[in-house]
Amino acid sequence: MKLGKFLGAIALSTAVASSLFAADTVTIGVQAPITGKYANEGQGISQFVKLIVDEKNANGGLLGKQINIVVCDDEAKAQKAAVCAKKLVNAGAFAVIGSYTSGATEAAQTTYYRNKVLQTSDGTSDSLIKRKYWTFFRNSFPNSAQSDFTAKYMVETKQYKKIVVLSDYSSYSNGLGNATEASVKALGGNVIFRGKIKSGTQNFTAILTKIKAMKPDAIYFSGYYTDGGLLRAQQAQLAIKADFVGGDSNDNPDFLKLAGKAAQGTTLINFPTPDLLPYPVAKKYLADYERVFNMKPPSIWAVVNADGLRAIMHGVEQTNSFDTKKISDYLHTLKDFEGITGPVTFRNDGERIGATFMVYNIQKDGSYKVMSK
Amino acid sequence: MDIFLQQLINGLTIGSLYALVALGYTMVYGVMRLINFAHGDLVAFSAYVGLTVFTQFFGAGATSFINIIIVFLVTSIIVAFAGVLLERLAYRPLRGAPRLSAVVSALGASLVIQNGIMLIWGPNMEIFPADLLPSTQWDLGGIIITFTQMVILVLSAVLMAALYIFINKTKIGTAIRATAIDQDAAKLMGINVNRIIMIIFIVGSMLGAIGGLFIGIYYRGLTFDMGWLYGLNAFIAAIIGGIGSIPGAMLGGLLLGLFNAMITGYISTEWAETFTFLLLIVILIVRPTGILGEKTADKV
Repeated sequence: MKLGKFLGAIALSTAVASSLFAADTVTIGVQAPITGKYANEGQGISQFVKLIVDEKNANGGLLGKQINIVVCDDEAKAQKAAVCAKKLVNAGAFAVIGSYTSGATEAAQTTYYRNKVLQTSDGTSDSLIKRKYWTFFRNSFPNSAQSDFTAKYMVETKQYKKIVVLSDYSSYSNGLGNATEASVKALGGNVIFRGKIKSGTQNFTAILTKIKAMKPDAIYFSGYYTDGGLLRAQQAQLAIKADFVGGDSNDNPDFLKLAGKAAQGTTLINFPTPDLLPYPVAKKYLADYERVFNMKPPSIWAVVNADGLRAIMHGVEQTNSFDTKKISDYLHTLKDFEGITGPVTFRNDGERIGATFMVYNIQKDGSYKVMSK
Repeated sequence: MDIFLQQLINGLTIGSLYALVALGYTMVYGVMRLINFAHGDLVAFSAYVGLTVFTQFFGAGATSFINIIIVFLVTSIIVAFAGVLLERLAYRPLRGAPRLSAVVSALGASLVIQNGIMLIWGPNMEIFPADLLPSTQWDLGGIIITFTQMVILVLSAVLMAALYIFINKTKIGTAIRATAIDQDAAKLMGINVNRIIMIIFIVGSMLGAIGGLFIGIYYRGLTFDMGWLYGLNAFIAAIIGGIGSIPGAMLGGLLLGLFNAMITGYISTEWAETFTFLLLIVILIVRPTGILGEKTADKV
């Protein structure tokens, strides 16, 4: 045991020393909410990055260099995200994975752009692409793609006559809520109420009671699972007989726990959950993840971020350089790269295209039943 | 009309929780002229303790009234102990110091407890089991009231009444009131001020603990920083009612809960906080010491 510890210490100190003095390592940053409300998502992202990097390092590293990961916890807060961005730039990262929320991603974007550091995030807010930073790559799909799909499902498939759209105030959720409202109206659907809740306040009975009087067919919520689960539970408590349709960020095991019995019958709209990804590379990495961390990834978000990382590493190898501008130019033309979450194709503004969404219905035992694709 | 009554129940439920927490602020302020900012975090701590006691002792499935009562008792005792510890470590050494030092110490204690919770239970959300109390609910012509809400409303009312009697009718209560008026004079009358302050912290923490457990059982999702949310609202409630006044804290809590529910229900969520703070400002302009606040003439 003692010898093991001793060797470990030597290995650690050489790792530290080499990262300080030698040029045979490169640094990749992870900016994610490791603590706070969305901690389990942030930890998922950080673990998946570790999995991919460890595999790469074991196979000789990136262009012969060992990859060193630096993780910075942004707590899903904009202020902390700005600090993280500076920290990761100072740590010498050439690329940063994250963050989980659009708000924290947006707050860090400019710093990475100015320092020519590549960034890939799952943030779905449409505004992330609008600044046209060549450093930014979205590894998920934008709100506007999701809202069209959601509106089609609610208006055409389910024929809801009276739809309530709720969001919180965050850049992602508010954006998705507005986009969904617009998409529903474009399809001739009827949004009877567009409301906002304050994330984390826990007590949503007042706004739900107001909604009850409107007798809606469906309540669509574009926020996060921590609020979505409670909304659903309190909706059931107030006996509001409307279908609950949750946007992508409700897709988390904690949604089921918070909603309790009311989780049954809830509809969620998201990219395919990790379990349902049909690709061979997905099966391999998800099995690896489970073996190493003894749990499943918390949601699809960790997986899309892993794809962002894999695409960047692919870019490094194809351009045979760590020049971020060259890598970015290459990635802007990347087409059908074999991703865990399906083919990865970037548009020339860093937008990932080729969105696939699914509708799930939560069953009594908490499992997901795929309703439509 | 049924929507109005439903909002009334919504508001009273959250208002009772605010009131239970506000009592802790107001009691400490009344006696020590100190705003105990760590109180909200003690409330969060109690929810975590309650969840741990429950899962450790009984496991997820075993809910019965006896078990719930044991959880409440054990948690209250642990949190009361934490409250006394807080007073000993963070406030007593500063009793002679300028008031600002004590306030800074309170803020520090709040951060210590908050981060302590994060170290013990981790940064992830902890979730109370769904069926701690029976999920029975009554439908009174469109107005839904659940068993949990009923328990919260009734038990809060009973606790507040008991506290009122304790403060106004018992010997210890008299000593507490005397200490609140003038600590030095109370000492001269043979009152052990340290003991009174300890009792204040025990009672305040216990009420906070019960509030915290209700929050856990009713809303279920626990985050280590939730103390700020409930602490801030309860603190506002205490100020609205008149900080230092016990019936004031009760009234302030209920008023704040109702006001919030009605604004959200009839105007919009966007404006709920704006109007709440507007209410606070108006009340403070009209009655600077709060609705039921004592009028103290400052000796010049």
